[in-house]
This record gives sequence, structure tokens and C-alpha cells, in this order.
Amino acid sequence: MNITLKVWRQKNAAAPGALVEYTVSGVVPEMSFLEMLDTLNEQLIAKGEDPLAFDSDCREGICGMCNLMIDGQAHGPDKEATTCQLHMRRYKDGDVVTVEPFRAKGFPLVKDLVVDRSAFDRIQAAGGFVSTHTGGAGEANAILIPHDMAEKAMDAASCIGCGACVAACPNASAMLFVAAKVSQYALLPQGQPEREKRVLAMREAMDKEGFGHCTNEYECEAACPKGIKLSNIARLNREFLRATIVSE
Amino acid sequence: MEANANCASKSPCRVFEFLESSIGKKIMVAAAGILLCGFLVTHLAGNLLMYVGGEAFNRYAEALVSNPLLPLAEAGLVGLFLLHIVLSIRATLANRAARPEGYQVYKGKGARTPGSRTMAVTGILILAFVVIHVATLKYQVGGQKGPDLFAHVLGWFANPWYSIFYVLAVGGVGLHLSHGVQSALQTFGVNHPRYTPALRKAGLAFAILIFLGFASLPVYFGFIHKTADACCATMEGGSK
Ligand code: SF4
Ligand code: FES
Repeated sequence: MNITLKVWRQKNAAAPGALVEYTVSGVVPEMSFLEMLDTLNEQLIAKGEDPLAFDSDCREGICGMCNLMIDGQAHGPDKEATTCQLHMRRYKDGDVVTVEPFRAKGFPLVKDLVVDRSAFDRIQAAGGFVSTHTGGAGEANAILIPHDMAEKAMDAASCIGCGACVAACPNASAMLFVAAKVSQYALLPQGQPEREKRVLAMREAMDKEGFGHCTNEYECEAACPKGIKLSNIARLNREFLRATIVSE
Repeated sequence: MEANANCASKSPCRVFEFLESSIGKKIMVAAAGILLCGFLVTHLAGNLLMYVGGEAFNRYAEALVSNPLLPLAEAGLVGLFLLHIVLSIRATLANRAARPEGYQVYKGKGARTPGSRTMAVTGILILAFVVIHVATLKYQVGGQKGPDLFAHVLGWFANPWYSIFYVLAVGGVGLHLSHGVQSALQTFGVNHPRYTPALRKAGLAFAILIFLGFASLPVYFGFIHKTADACCATMEGGSK
């Protein structure tokens, strides 16, 4: 089938960008969205044109690199799926699809569809860790953790840092990401010693990167490919309020 | 984790940092909003006395104005409004700046509600309404003047444009609250798998009740009750 793409092309952060129309031929339903873009690139290269820059790595939904805004939806129309897990069987011959980069001040554009998400790394580095002695693995049952807590922490930890929450948020807020990262430690005994310091530091890092304020639009939860829940944002709010009051 | 190093134990600094933070700001906006909801409830309760009769309504208004603590309560109310408005504007500006280049196509995945989309618009509408409302009904700018507040209010409600604007504005209040109440709870960190769905419905029900309560007054006294004799006697002669 043929797919008409309107893709954001921009040489670099300083150059002006615009949507450019391409028709990709030979698309089959089994292709992933990224393979369809690979096909476009093969056709562009054959014509001697500059191939489209876009990010990807694992292509199996676990690394969070493939961040595209597809027809105004982060990671495209599917629920709880990354762009690399979106397949062309979703589309039919002649469809017109608009592809744009994730947009946020915190995610500066590098080229075409590639943005720099290192802001997330800096937020994580500000407090998303536990300071612990890393010797041999300890006895697994030395620290008792209720099963539901372990599950909730694990759910929060399944955030792959893709940035779809920011991209989908009308305010470009990074609250769902930060909430997931704060929660995964706040829920576990190992996270307690640095509990207050962590949330204060990560909140500060988040604001410093220029992400917006959460106004509870809940588009983040709807866009998240890993199903990270809003209850994590509520937890982040509680943790922040608590830390502001009790930390010394 | 160097954060707060310079803020370490100086409490004024901690408070300032809280108010400046994205999360602190929204907690304050939500807190002011919920307190303003409390005001709406008491205001509506007072207004509903209009259904009891002009006497009861005027007596209530009289008692309110003669209470020496009223200026204090009013100042508090103005403070809440200002806090809510100023922090909301600042957050909105920061949010604009957080996405300097917008999308050509932005669809989302259907999580936004009519209320959440229109918070700024309904907020501005409510502010405009409050100014007009206070000017016309409290300070009696325009309309029939005099100590009979009930007659004064009925005089304004007799003006269909005023009544229509009133209904639209309290519709804006309802829409604002349809997002605001549940949003404030989430901001306070209240989110529970069992209670949250019920709380969201309760927030919506509250918004609808507030709208119906306020909107019923201009509708009833402006359009329905108008022709009845009782009203016109009051209007012409005043109750005193
Ligand atoms: S919370 Fe979800 S959408 Fe946001 S970065 Fe993590 S996985 Fe991506
Ligand atoms: S490429 Fe790794 S999640 Fe899509």
C-alpha cells in the first residue's frame, strides 16, 4: 500500500522547520511504523535525498527511544504501545499520516524528528537512586516487602523514560515521569533513607529543565505506553508536600 | 542531592521555595479553589432565602452587613481570589513557555474534559462576572437603589440580559468546578482506586448543584415569577 506522510523536517535546532509531504510505496501491513519510515529512507536515499532522522533502539517496546507524535498522538493511536510497536495494519492504502517530533522546551530538537531527552537523565541523576553498599547480593528475604507494595513499585519502575507523557501533556509537564521515578523508591523500604531529599531534589531538577505545571488534564496517563497511573502523580504531590514540611 | 542546600533549615526560604515550585503552586491554587467552593456554598445558602421571601432574604442580608467581622471575611475572600488568580496566571504563562513550538496536529487520547479545556476561559468569565456582580448587587451601581436588597435584586433580574449573563456566568462556574473539584483532590494527593471514581462523580455533582442553585434564581425571578402579583407589589413599593 501507499502511505502519504507529512513529516517534520528541520536541519538543526537553529534552522526553520516545516512539514514535508512524501509518499511511501510498498508498505505492507506487517511492517512496524518504524519499518515504514525505514522504507521511506531507502526511497529517499535512492533518490539522493537526505534521509529522515528519527530515534529508535530496541524496537521491542522497552527502551523508550522511539518517540514520535503521530497524527497528534504520542506514540500513535494504540493504547499502551510505543511507536515501534505500532504496525501498519492500523492503516490503509492512501492514508495521510502526520509525524512530528515530541515538543517541549525540556526536549530541544536536534534534527527532524529527533529530540534531546537528556533532561530526564538530569532529573534522574538529581535523586532517582538509592545510596547503598553494593557488595554481593543480600539475602532476598532480609527486608520484608508486602507483595502489593512490591507490585506497585514495579509498576512505577516500568516507566521507560520515553517522554510521551510530556509530549501529550497540553502543558508539557513531566509530572508522570517524575512521579513514576519518585514512587518506585518511595514505595520500598530501600527508598526510605533518602525519601525527602529525593523528592525535593527531583522536583527542583524537573522545574529547572523548564517543564510545565501539571493541571490534571490526564493526557499523560492516556499516552503512556507502560500504563503508568495517575495515582503516582498524587503520590508525588503527597511526597513533595510531606517532604517540604518534615525535612530539615 | 544538593537540592535545598541553600534553603536548608531557613523556614521562610522553604515556604518561598514551596510557593515557587510547580507542585507547591498548584497545591496553593487548589487549596484556594476549595476554600472558594466553601464560600460558594454559604453564598448559595443565603441566596436561596429569596425563595422563602423578601423579608427573610433582607433580614439575612441585614444581619450579614451589620456583622463587624464582615470586612475581615471579605478581605480574606479577596485574598483567596487573588492567590488563586495570580498563581494560576503564573502557572499558565510557565506552561505556555514550556512548549515554545506547538504541534501542527494535536489530538491527544481523550483524557481532557470540556471543563479542563476551558479553565482559563471560564476563569476569566467568572472574574468578569464577579466584578459586575459585586458592582451591581453589592454596591448597587445602576438599577433600583435603596435599602431593600430583595427589590434591588429583582430589579436587576427583570432585565433579561442581566439574567442571561448571570446564568451563563454561573454555567462557567459549574464548568470550572467540573474539572476543579476532582483536580484539587488529585493535587492534594487524594487518589485511591476505590474512592477516586466516587469522588470524581461527587465533584461533578457538586458542580452541577452549584450551577442549578445559582442559575435557578434569575430564571425563576427573572422569567417565571415575574408575572405573579406578589413580586410586582414588592418591586413597586419595596418591602419597607
Ligand atoms: S511515564 Fe510513561 S509516558 Fe512518561 S516517560 Fe515513563 S513510560 Fe514514557
Ligand atoms: S525503539 Fe525501544 S521502545 Fe521503541
